[in-house]
Amino acid sequence: MSRSFSWKTGILLVAVAIFLILYPKLVDSYFLHLTVATFLAMIMASSWDILARTGQVSVGQAGLFGIGAYTAALLYQRLHLPPVLGMLAGATLAMIVAIFLGYLTLRLRGIYFAITTIAFAEALSVIWLMTPGVTGGAMGVSTPPLFNGNREHAYYLILIVLALVIFVVWLIESSRLNFAFTAIRENEEVANVMGINPTRYKVLAFMISAFFTGFAGGFYSHYNTYIIPYEVFGLGISIACLVMPIFGGLYTIAGPIIGTILIKAIEEYLRVTFSYGHQIAYGLILVVVVLFMPEGLLGLWKRRILPFFSGFRQ
Amino acid sequence: MVFGNDGNIRTLLVIEREHQPTMENIFLLQARELIKHFGGLAAVQNVSFEIRRGEIVSLIGPNGAGKTTIFNLISGVHGPDSGEILLDNENLVGRRPFEVCQKGIGRTFQIMQPFPHMTVLENVMTSGLFGRVPKISMRQAEEETMELCQLVGLGDKQKAFPRNLTVADQKRIEIARALAVKPKLLLLDEVMSGLTPTETGEAIRLVRRLREDGTTIFLIEHVMKVVMGISDRVIVLHHGEKIAEGTCAEVANDPKVIEAYLGEHIEELEEASC
Amino acid sequence: MDWPSFFQSLANGILIAGLYAAVTLGLTLVLGVMGIVNFAHGELVMLGAYSTFWLFSLLGIDPMLSIAMSGLILFLIGLPIYRFTIRPILKDPPLNQLLLTLGISIFLQNLAMILWKTDSRSVITSYSGMSLHLGVVHIGLTRLITFLIALILTASLVSFLYKARPGKAMRAVSENNTASWLIGINVQKTYLLAFGVASGLAGAAGALVSMIMYTFPMVGFKLSLKAFCILILGGLGNIPGALFGSLILGLTESFVGTYVPEGSGWAEGISFILIMIVLIIKPTGLAGTRRE
Repeated sequence: MSRSFSWKTGILLVAVAIFLILYPKLVDSYFLHLTVATFLAMIMASSWDILARTGQVSVGQAGLFGIGAYTAALLYQRLHLPPVLGMLAGATLAMIVAIFLGYLTLRLRGIYFAITTIAFAEALSVIWLMTPGVTGGAMGVSTPPLFNGNREHAYYLILIVLALVIFVVWLIESSRLNFAFTAIRENEEVANVMGINPTRYKVLAFMISAFFTGFAGGFYSHYNTYIIPYEVFGLGISIACLVMPIFGGLYTIAGPIIGTILIKAIEEYLRVTFSYGHQIAYGLILVVVVLFMPEGLLGLWKRRILPFFSGFRQ
Repeated sequence: MVFGNDGNIRTLLVIEREHQPTMENIFLLQARELIKHFGGLAAVQNVSFEIRRGEIVSLIGPNGAGKTTIFNLISGVHGPDSGEILLDNENLVGRRPFEVCQKGIGRTFQIMQPFPHMTVLENVMTSGLFGRVPKISMRQAEEETMELCQLVGLGDKQKAFPRNLTVADQKRIEIARALAVKPKLLLLDEVMSGLTPTETGEAIRLVRRLREDGTTIFLIEHVMKVVMGISDRVIVLHHGEKIAEGTCAEVANDPKVIEAYLGEHIEELEEASC
Repeated sequence: MDWPSFFQSLANGILIAGLYAAVTLGLTLVLGVMGIVNFAHGELVMLGAYSTFWLFSLLGIDPMLSIAMSGLILFLIGLPIYRFTIRPILKDPPLNQLLLTLGISIFLQNLAMILWKTDSRSVITSYSGMSLHLGVVHIGLTRLITFLIALILTASLVSFLYKARPGKAMRAVSENNTASWLIGINVQKTYLLAFGVASGLAGAAGALVSMIMYTFPMVGFKLSLKAFCILILGGLGNIPGALFGSLILGLTESFVGTYVPEGSGWAEGISFILIMIVLIIKPTGLAGTRRE
């Protein structure tokens, strides 16, 4: 089951890499911004998928996102910490919080785990609102534009981090971690009896997921120049994190990527039409996916569309 | 230790352990005064027994007697309310299931629970990758798994998904998974039920071969013919208590056992030969 | 010891517990009868609140009267929701059910935002500001009426479950639906009716909400979390537990509001903190699960 590269995959990757490196020169500022936002979303989507691989369905990623965002923003505000260091600090703090949360929620099954994560994010929101002295409260925190407004630099930063996330997922999939995560997800008790320590792997998945989600938050705070609790700890972020990988196809590398691209496209269209409520598409997509295409777009492709082209192979 | 590609089963199943027991104990497993309650119900009451190295011991009893609970206590799924369980003189009580597995116990489940989204090969590899101490490489796990699948009769079905396989094949997956951890003690939970006579024969041959190669086997069984056919000793449980223990002949003629099974398997008890 | 404050907090806590209980009734019913945690229940309450608001603003119908109307409207909305989205996933793993009802929740939240914008609405009647005085305690008239109506709703539901045939069928199905089917109960129709009734209860609770709180698209989400907290505190799928949990939450929020500095802000977070504390200590909730 070792994963090896074929020549074709290698050439494809190089071509994609060259395209991505030249990309900022090829598009205008608006599209570059859209791309940065999309890459950010991909990071969050892939991170959610990593956690979901162990069966932990979080509806509270906003908690970790917000911790990352505020850590970066507040460290800049108080100590003038350079943005990238702030993002790394945010990522690390989010990861540490996830370790605690992970241990505390080990025994929680599916729905209870989900409810706890929602409560976690909302609790943070309340704490933030009630401590304006430390956190800026409802008024939020602003930071100067990232890299002095140079979107190209922002693009390259987020591209590097996205590449890192994808690499991490690839590493997981080609190592024994994949077996552990899948076993725990499918039947934790049996996995335990077979020698897999569920605690170790569930907390590990949580840590990895939190690190990148926290980084995304940190990046967002500097890129957006202004954050408020309602937004960065908000349900919208948590929902976005899960809709994209579910739509695209869970437990895959390409699924979260494809899901994000499509959803961002839909969202951009809707955002122009409705100032609020564009997440209505998220709700609709979730319902449609559960009812008609539980394996997401990738599953649909593999099961319904691909067979037409290859003559119904097994 | 050599893991040969010579197809020799003996080489395949030689046990590789990080530390050897300092004193070679004839008892591999010792259970002392196990008690377990669920809610108000006493599932296991003061059960003690021993299993010697290399034995095949069967655990029998009417439905609800507490047999699977005993397996759960041994493998760490539940902790006993009181009592001791020693594997090679090492205490197992309080250890979590994965630790018990890594100490050398492999088990199957009565209700087969293969991982649905993994192939047969992947199912068995998972055990090998995590149940073994020290950890083996992915490549080694893959090779061993392929050989194990051959051994249990799943050689040509390794890439299949469990849901597409027969009951007998799914039982094979369970057994292969348990074997992949190279256990000192193999716990088989009703692997013979639901099998055709041919399949039962194959399963019996497999169990005997495993014992020849050094695995101690403890099985829960309902199929009396099998029990009487392969067991060195039989332990009988009823309402959570051990009511009899001994060779098949001793147990088959024990009035307490006959009474417990009244109307159930008594014909089989009479038929079975030791 | 400032007794007047104490009793005022006690009174407020009990009164708000009534509202919370009304909100949680429907959620409890669905969980008890078909074993599904309906993440969209709060949104059904929200729709009930908006329906009362619009009936009041556009047609001048007093909220007291429109409780029944909102209940009916939501009952009718609940039926197709059950038929087309819930029924297909009854046998699915709980996570699928979670995601589906979450999807409905998000859909309804955003639909409300699109249709009615995000402004907070209030239902102010001629009697909104009145209060009764019981000794040292002030009791808002609307709060008292809401509490009483919540009691009536609870009593009605209990009597429905124990005296009416469809209600008894629901109880039978919640215990054991194979046995129920064997004795001739139409399980599917029972489920459909249960979901409809639960939605109707949500609608009625929404009417009460509109009288006491602001009505806005996210009010359902806030109430959902409180309802989950109550379920976890009081035991899942049983009504006495829901009442007990509501009381605990209501009293805790009220006392925190009074005695903790800036308590009214912190009180909002009580439900989240209670959820996390209880689940972490006892992963199946305080009273354990009634059905698995």
